[in-house]
Amino acid sequence: MTAIVLLALLCVSILGYFLNRQAATKLRANGTRLHSVPGYHGLYSLLSTIVPVVVLIVLWLIFQGPLIDRFTMSGLPAGSLDELDTGGRQLILAEIKSISRGRIFGNPEVWKVDAADRYVWMHAVAGWMLFGIVIVASLGIVGLARSRVAADFRARHGVERITSGLMLFCSTIAIFTTLGIIAALLFESIRFFERVPITEFFFGLNWEPQIPLREDQIAAEGAFGWIPVFLGTLVITVVALFLAVPVGLLSAIYLNEFAPSRLRAVAKPVLEVLAGVPTVVYGFFAILVVAPAIRSFGASLGIPVSPNTALAAGSVMGIMLIPFISSFTDDALSAVPKSLRDGALALGATRAETVLNVLFPAAIPGIVGGILLAISRAIGETMIVVMAAGLIASLTINPLDSVTTVTVQIVTLLIGDTSFDNPKTLAAFALGMMLFIVTLVINVFALRIVRKYREAYE
Amino acid sequence: MMNDMRKIERDTVASEIKIQARGVQVFYGDTHAIKDVSVDILDKTVTAFIGPSGCGKSTFLRCLNRMNDTIDIARVEGDIHIDGDDVYDPSIDPVQLRAKVGMVFQKPNPFPKSIYDNIAYGPRIHGLARTKAELDEIVERSLRRAAIWDEVKDRLHEPGTGLSGGQQQRLCIARAVATEPEVLLMDEPCSALDPIATAQVEDLIDELRRNYSVVIVTHSMQQAARVSQKTAFFHLGNLVEYRETGQIFTNPEDPRTESYITGRIG
Repeated sequence: MTAIVLLALLCVSILGYFLNRQAATKLRANGTRLHSVPGYHGLYSLLSTIVPVVVLIVLWLIFQGPLIDRFTMSGLPAGSLDELDTGGRQLILAEIKSISRGRIFGNPEVWKVDAADRYVWMHAVAGWMLFGIVIVASLGIVGLARSRVAADFRARHGVERITSGLMLFCSTIAIFTTLGIIAALLFESIRFFERVPITEFFFGLNWEPQIPLREDQIAAEGAFGWIPVFLGTLVITVVALFLAVPVGLLSAIYLNEFAPSRLRAVAKPVLEVLAGVPTVVYGFFAILVVAPAIRSFGASLGIPVSPNTALAAGSVMGIMLIPFISSFTDDALSAVPKSLRDGALALGATRAETVLNVLFPAAIPGIVGGILLAISRAIGETMIVVMAAGLIASLTINPLDSVTTVTVQIVTLLIGDTSFDNPKTLAAFALGMMLFIVTLVINVFALRIVRKYREAYE
Repeated sequence: MMNDMRKIERDTVASEIKIQARGVQVFYGDTHAIKDVSVDILDKTVTAFIGPSGCGKSTFLRCLNRMNDTIDIARVEGDIHIDGDDVYDPSIDPVQLRAKVGMVFQKPNPFPKSIYDNIAYGPRIHGLARTKAELDEIVERSLRRAAIWDEVKDRLHEPGTGLSGGQQQRLCIARAVATEPEVLLMDEPCSALDPIATAQVEDLIDELRRNYSVVIVTHSMQQAARVSQKTAFFHLGNLVEYRETGQIFTNPEDPRTESYITGRIG
């Protein structure tokens, strides 16, 4: 039904477009000077029909379901809902709905079948009502728009207002989504902190998110100190950056400044392929290749290495991050004006000196941007660490030990059957909140550093 | 007064040859940009290259310090000798060459560093100063020679990009002289400047002639007449005429030169 309604709206609004355009063309043919060209008169009709009517349809569809549910329930025979709580009423409504869809279990009471029939009927009526209203409203707007076609009518301004409104709406979507995410995290975190003291979470050195499943079960009470988990994230991130930053920077500098153009034409796309490898494949690589290699290498030196090391997960993550850093650095170096490069070379600077003293400082904001993005990715990266890092939170900074990360813990806490009223599940939201805050702080901090030390050209 | 002095000095041009170019050809890919140019550029003289846009004068200038090396598709043939050394000989290090042949560009291009660091950059990479005091002295001397010391002496540690266009160009000249070059190449150094800044830079060029061989590319014939002792006229990649500035502007030999300086071509 909705598809038919939308199709009808489309037809009517296209009709309005041609009506208005034709009217405006006729005006112009009579020798009148128009403020807006005929195309804008047509677009004005089209947009001012579609936009409000689509809003109307969306609102109608939002309210239609709940209203019909309510009518259905209130139309039931007196006494059939007596002594029922909310859950019981919901159950009856669900049964009526499933009967209306033709799925009948057992022998339902007659009044339920009647209610289901009425439910179907109300939906049909609502659909036709919507269809009628949309036709009337859109035809009305088309007529109104047609009557406004005149030499001095500013159709172009109208179109510009409507489109800029649409653009504004689209740009706010991202902002409101972010606010929604923050709100969701915040509320669940607050519920977590009602159950677990905030000091335990922030300063606790133990992370054992087990809780008794039954009242009488003898189990550990569960410890929710986030420090060991966060330390694991930190160790893996540092390992990843130790690999990614130098390799990424140097490869970008080589490709941008020293490589012959033919090598560059081949090497740059190949490097960027790394960015397209799915992280789960990196995960395979970490557990099947890197971790055993590190382990046997450690064994040959007589160093005990655990099977899931932070080093393996971190170094594979570092490989994943190389293209981020190198492509940001490459872009930043390419953006430095050629005149600066020429200026340094003309003073007798070598290429290396030019890069180091002139190009690099000028490119710092872009480079730091790339590194920041890499850090955010490293902290938030999940798949590689789920596969290659451990599950047990241990308070260590030794990269040869097994560590766990914030993201791994969030995944394990939320996997499987979960109930959203115990601290174990809610802890995931608190961890997510902290992850969000940490990346935010890093971003703000780095922006300030960049602004202070950048060498701005022009 | 200044003009009188120039007239007098014009007659006493040093005869020593600093740069000798023979049969220079430059190709950009398939384009033949410079066709068989031979020229002798004298020491302690200002030599002006004039000619219509695209005639190859900047390209030829950039051959002299091998800045064309930075353009992948550029190819240079022929001989260029500076003080008898072949510039394009494989044994010549372009880095050392460029330390000896300084260059000022059309658009001021100060580094996004402090005024002090802009000037000190060349001396630092070439190790011209052993102590901080020596470096300070080089910076001050260079800024004084570029006639900008008084304007910037109180803000040496502010960014060079914050100066006005004319100041930036003089800063770039100071930066070029700080490495103690023997030849100074200037590629339309005044084209982005207002008349006052232009006059300052022109005075400076005249001043620099005492120590350097200066080669200046310019679109302004008045400027060539004001600052140079020798003038070369380029047209479509050819060196058409190369003579004393006074003669080329008053009594050109080639009809193309005459057409250009009287404004009929170019």
